[in-house]
Amino acid sequence: MKPTPVPLSDVNLANLDYFVADEAWGMFDTLRAEDPLHWQDEPDSDGHGFWSVTRYDDIEMVNKDGETFTSTKFVNLEEPPAEFQDLRRSILESDGSRHQALRKLLARDFSVAQLRRYEDFLRGLARMSIESALEQEDIDFVDAIAADFPINVLARLLDVPDDMIPQLITWGNTIVGFSDPELSDVLVDSDEAQQYKHLPFRSPVSLEIFEYGRQLAKERRGGDGEDLVSKLVNRIPEDGVPLTDTDFDNYFLLLVVAGNETTRQAMTLSMKGLMDHPDQMQYFLDNMDKSQIMVEELIRYASPVYHFRRTATKDIELHGKTIKEGDKVVMWFASGNRDDAKFTDPYGLDLTRFPNDHMTFGKGPHSCLGANLARMEIRILFEELLPRLASIEQTGEIERVRSNFVNGVKRFPVRVKAK
Amino acid sequence: MTETETRLREFESDLVVESYEVVAEDVVAVTLVHPQGEALPAWTPGAHIDLILTPEITRQYSLCGSPADAHRFTVGILNAPNSRGGSRHVHEAVSTGSVIRIRGPRNHFPLVASPRYVFIAGGIGVTPMLPMIAEAEAARAEWTLLYGGRSEASMAFIDQLRAYGDRVTLLPGNDVALMSAALDDRIGTPRPDTLVYTCGPEGLLGAVEARCASWPTGSLHLERFAAKATEGAVDTEFEVELARTGITITVPADRSIFDAVQDHGISVLGSCHEGVCGTCETVILGVDGEVDHRDSVLNDEEKASNESMMICVSRCRSGRLTLDL
Ligand code: HEM
Ligand code: FES
Repeated sequence: MKPTPVPLSDVNLANLDYFVADEAWGMFDTLRAEDPLHWQDEPDSDGHGFWSVTRYDDIEMVNKDGETFTSTKFVNLEEPPAEFQDLRRSILESDGSRHQALRKLLARDFSVAQLRRYEDFLRGLARMSIESALEQEDIDFVDAIAADFPINVLARLLDVPDDMIPQLITWGNTIVGFSDPELSDVLVDSDEAQQYKHLPFRSPVSLEIFEYGRQLAKERRGGDGEDLVSKLVNRIPEDGVPLTDTDFDNYFLLLVVAGNETTRQAMTLSMKGLMDHPDQMQYFLDNMDKSQIMVEELIRYASPVYHFRRTATKDIELHGKTIKEGDKVVMWFASGNRDDAKFTDPYGLDLTRFPNDHMTFGKGPHSCLGANLARMEIRILFEELLPRLASIEQTGEIERVRSNFVNGVKRFPVRVKAK
Repeated sequence: MTETETRLREFESDLVVESYEVVAEDVVAVTLVHPQGEALPAWTPGAHIDLILTPEITRQYSLCGSPADAHRFTVGILNAPNSRGGSRHVHEAVSTGSVIRIRGPRNHFPLVASPRYVFIAGGIGVTPMLPMIAEAEAARAEWTLLYGGRSEASMAFIDQLRAYGDRVTLLPGNDVALMSAALDDRIGTPRPDTLVYTCGPEGLLGAVEARCASWPTGSLHLERFAAKATEGAVDTEFEVELARTGITITVPADRSIFDAVQDHGISVLGSCHEGVCGTCETVILGVDGEVDHRDSVLNDEEKASNESMMICVSRCRSGRLTLDL
């Protein structure tokens, strides 16, 4: 459904109230039409303000030009003090040859060719979660179905023992919900967070994750394990510069966090989309052999990541304005996925959509390393879940995550009847 | 702290061949200078530059001169008998005074400070070792070089290396057993205070890698001859069937498979677009013709198996591919 437009004078992409109310879309539509390069102040945080690009083509341009729009000054709205940047730097905040070397360390482990080995395992895991969820009729879809599956898969790729999985889930939730009071003890903009400036997400939970990662690293160094931790500690990046302890910490943390909340939200928002479009739910069931294609539309529709950020390395002109060297430039991927210059009826869910070159995973050198894994998890979940459902209906209000980074749902109450 | 290098505009310029010297059978040392005598970008041992020989042929060569000489780039070039034209082009077409376009330098193989080094080179892989050895000497580090090759006549720079006396061991004759024994001797036992640097053919690198598996993480530094890329290859048009999508597209001679697939509105992801990172790996379901693997991600065995390919650089030599897209 097309959203209600928000007048340009009311647009405020730093105001999380819009996002928690799911009203960002109206702002994006206005910006794409009226102010494609938009300046936003950040009065409520210590940020210096940021430019927003909301059109598909502009986002793609910024995303592909890592020389002009660097990731090395960090990629979320937060501006970590210069003295802590190296301490917090992961692959996400690296450019150039170091970025390529970090990426190559694990890129092939996330290739379709490699991941095929996990297909049966994932299917078994999905069935288990689904069967245990379907034992009750009234469930929270997020909690009962979407939450555990991605992190279980990740736990397997990292080869962490089953009894650590609940802990991994809690860590992931706390870190990603860092602007949401319910999910996090320490909020990113709070006074308390000031003392954690040196930590990723300004969250003390990072320390716990680091410590756990280091313990795994120690056990596996020198071994020949096939898990991602073993590969990280035993492979040498191609630039010849070994991973430092901080490199390892930040890579491990990113793996724990990046694929968790994002994939969960992709599943939840896809489910909601299918329920809002019963004809599409039926189409999915009737065309299971095309599931890989259909998943691309679910992923475009869901758009679980609103944005990533870059920083201009020189002055540049765009849409008659000047982005100054050092300015933050935010790419609103979710808006690009709703650009009607690129997609016909972008707010519709159309599982036959073609072409469908969406930007849910980004487009440039930093495009999502885990995209193939996320696609596979989402596909398998719906392949297994939908045929098991006699009916599914929403029974209460959706509660959303208070964030302009993750487009997320905390609670999605549904009544399910199994076949 | 690791330096995160942001590659801003890379140096690219036409340079003039100052000298062109045959230094072994089939090996020439080419020294390049700026046409106006300007200084060239600084570099460190292990760095390489791209020679853009023709619009289609770009090859990477390790710098083997002295980093202290700000006005010269020297590269050693082998005329590989089975090369598809890159180095042959240099051997046949380049002479003193010719102009070559270059890009770089870049360093994926930097020399990390250490009290001791073991250098192991095979054939033309000796080139990056020359400035490394000079730097190790200057830093008063202990070092040895093991240098294998087909025959003494084919091994470049041996006169210059002999000056270092018994720290240099030459192993002509491509004798696998001798090399194996020498490797066991040099790197059979891990040494925490030593870094191992190796460059050469795949077989040698594999043997070194196997022995270094039990060394502390970070001890081994190796340089594969990356990005064999577009050397001498002629790009032609071919068809790709996208099995999942159910369409067949034509990949024009001047577009990559990646671009052509994206032109048709299919979401594919890449990162380096140079065939080095592995992000765009795509499963091959069928080949009618010959896959032209141009990446430096897959090893020879994987390439021969045609199970997958890097669609940002690799192509099909004629006929048609079926991909899992
Ligand atoms: C539907 C689920 C997912 C979405 C929407 C998503 C989205 C994204 C986006 C937009 C980026 C680009 C960041 C930038 O441009 O700076 C990214 C990067 C990344 N993602 Fe994902 N992601 C998902 C799942 C995963 C999974 C499952 C993993 C792995 C376990 C993962 C690991 C990463 C990593 C390591 C990067 C950094 C890549 C780089 O900097 O080169 N993601 N992701
Ligand atoms: S995009 Fe890096 S190998 Fe193709």
